[in-house]
Amino acid sequence: MGGLRTAESLRRTGFEGEITLLGAESEFPYNRPPLSKEYLLNPETKIHFNLNHDTLQSEFVLGDAAVRANLKEQTVSTEQGKTFTFDYLVAATGLRSRSLKFENNLLTKRFSLRTMSDTEKLRTAISSGMKVAILGAGFIGCELAATLTKLGCSVHVIAPEAIPLALALGEDFARVIQRNHEAQGVTFHMNTSVKDLIGEDDIRGVLLGDGTTIDCDILIEAVGSLTNVEWLADNNLDLSNGLLLDHALHAVTPEGSLTHVYGVGDIARFPYAHRQLPARRIEHWNIPIEMAKRVAKDICFQEGLDVADYSPTEVFRPLASFWSDQFDMHILSYGELHLATSTKLLDGDFDGEFVVGYYRDDELVGVAGLGMRGVLNTYRAEISI
Amino acid sequence: MIKVIVDMDKCQHYGQCVYEAPNIFKLNEEDKLEYLATADDSELGNIQAAVDICPMQAIQLIKE
Ligand SMILES: Cc1cc2nc3c(=O)[nH]c(=O)nc-3n(C[C@H](O)[C@H](O)[C@H](O)COP(=O)(O)OP(=O)(O)OC[C@H]3O[C@@H](n4cnc5c(N)ncnc54)[C@H](O)[C@@H]3O)c2cc1C
Ligand code: SF4
Repeated sequence: MGGLRTAESLRRTGFEGEITLLGAESEFPYNRPPLSKEYLLNPETKIHFNLNHDTLQSEFVLGDAAVRANLKEQTVSTEQGKTFTFDYLVAATGLRSRSLKFENNLLTKRFSLRTMSDTEKLRTAISSGMKVAILGAGFIGCELAATLTKLGCSVHVIAPEAIPLALALGEDFARVIQRNHEAQGVTFHMNTSVKDLIGEDDIRGVLLGDGTTIDCDILIEAVGSLTNVEWLADNNLDLSNGLLLDHALHAVTPEGSLTHVYGVGDIARFPYAHRQLPARRIEHWNIPIEMAKRVAKDICFQEGLDVADYSPTEVFRPLASFWSDQFDMHILSYGELHLATSTKLLDGDFDGEFVVGYYRDDELVGVAGLGMRGVLNTYRAEISI
Repeated sequence: MIKVIVDMDKCQHYGQCVYEAPNIFKLNEEDKLEYLATADDSELGNIQAAVDICPMQAIQLIKE
């Protein structure tokens, strides 16, 4: 997604050079949020992005992953042995699912969710009445719990935190989500983790830390992700948690920033504008869009094009936004909730629709709500990141 | 002129488009999306940004 958005933004900003989009998957760019929601429910859901090849004027090289970049020589080589040279490189390789290792590390009937083909495999494997164990109670775990319940499965969610989504949304908000899921038939096993898998060839159940067992027909791991940065190794970059960037989204090395190498989207670890906090990554859908616009302006500026209202020293300061749909709950947030040290109910009540404010000291760093979009939107301008 | 079409079966009334093109999109008192079906060419950039940002990919833009 970040790659496509960068190409589109470059063309809109006036870039006339060659653009190549190199992608590991054989699919044209598609939208990931429906993978755990509509697309799992219904294979007819349209999930590819609309492509306007006339304005995009870009070459797609699909089904071939980058395996090595040499930033000094300005080349990228691929799994299938191709080599591309570049003037500018935009790294937007996103994430892959993390997988746990067990003593009885069974692999059949075991799934994770990151790509279209993951969703297709899962859709084929499930049927109404099946028992599903989901490891992890983050957004993907909870969205899957809702979608699979709708599909008639009996769902058990297992996670080490006390309340599902509490790490992302805070406890008050998260309790509402848990209640709602439970009312629809989802069972949560919180404050615990899976010690081992049960079964011989196929998974038949999981053994929890406290010794109890849960039967299941399939297991889904929704336990977080790893950044796809290996292909950037040996270039003196900081790849400790994604790709470290500076305020202009240029890759950072100990000798200074590389002004021809950018990061966009889930892998991009970028600094705060005015907080003395370590740079962070944000895995939200609107971030690649905002980063793509900024990168396109910077490249066009370096190319000597006339870029209206752009100064390369301008600090990149996007407002992150996230939504999640689970059953009939529509969650929407703005800002960076993880920065908060306290929360406050700003409107509504926890039995119905509401808006919660997230504060760091006295500053509003985020808002999130269930419904009440109009009210939520009025707080947007007050958020200070 | 630009024609704007929002697929109201897809639209979840997130209101992200409102911030990109406030002259074209707005949320009414019931948090439902309202929008203008035609716009002046000067709005092209804003509407394009709204098309991109819409989480449901519900907005279509037609240049005439
Ligand atoms: C199931 C799911 C549900 C989600 N739901 C929501 C939601 O409701 N709301 C929300 O705000 N966000 C949601 N997100 C997050 C959102 O989709 C991501 O933040 C967004 O896709 C990030 O875009 P990106 O371009 O950084 O990465 P991606 O869209 O993941 O694109 C990275 C691309 O790089 C390719 N690639 C990887 N390695 C290589 C390589 N070596 N060479 C070449 N290509 C490579 C990958 O195949 C992929 O196509 C969801 C994500 C998932 C997985
Ligand atoms: S951004 Fe998309 S989903 Fe949201 S209100 Fe606008 S059209 Fe509807």
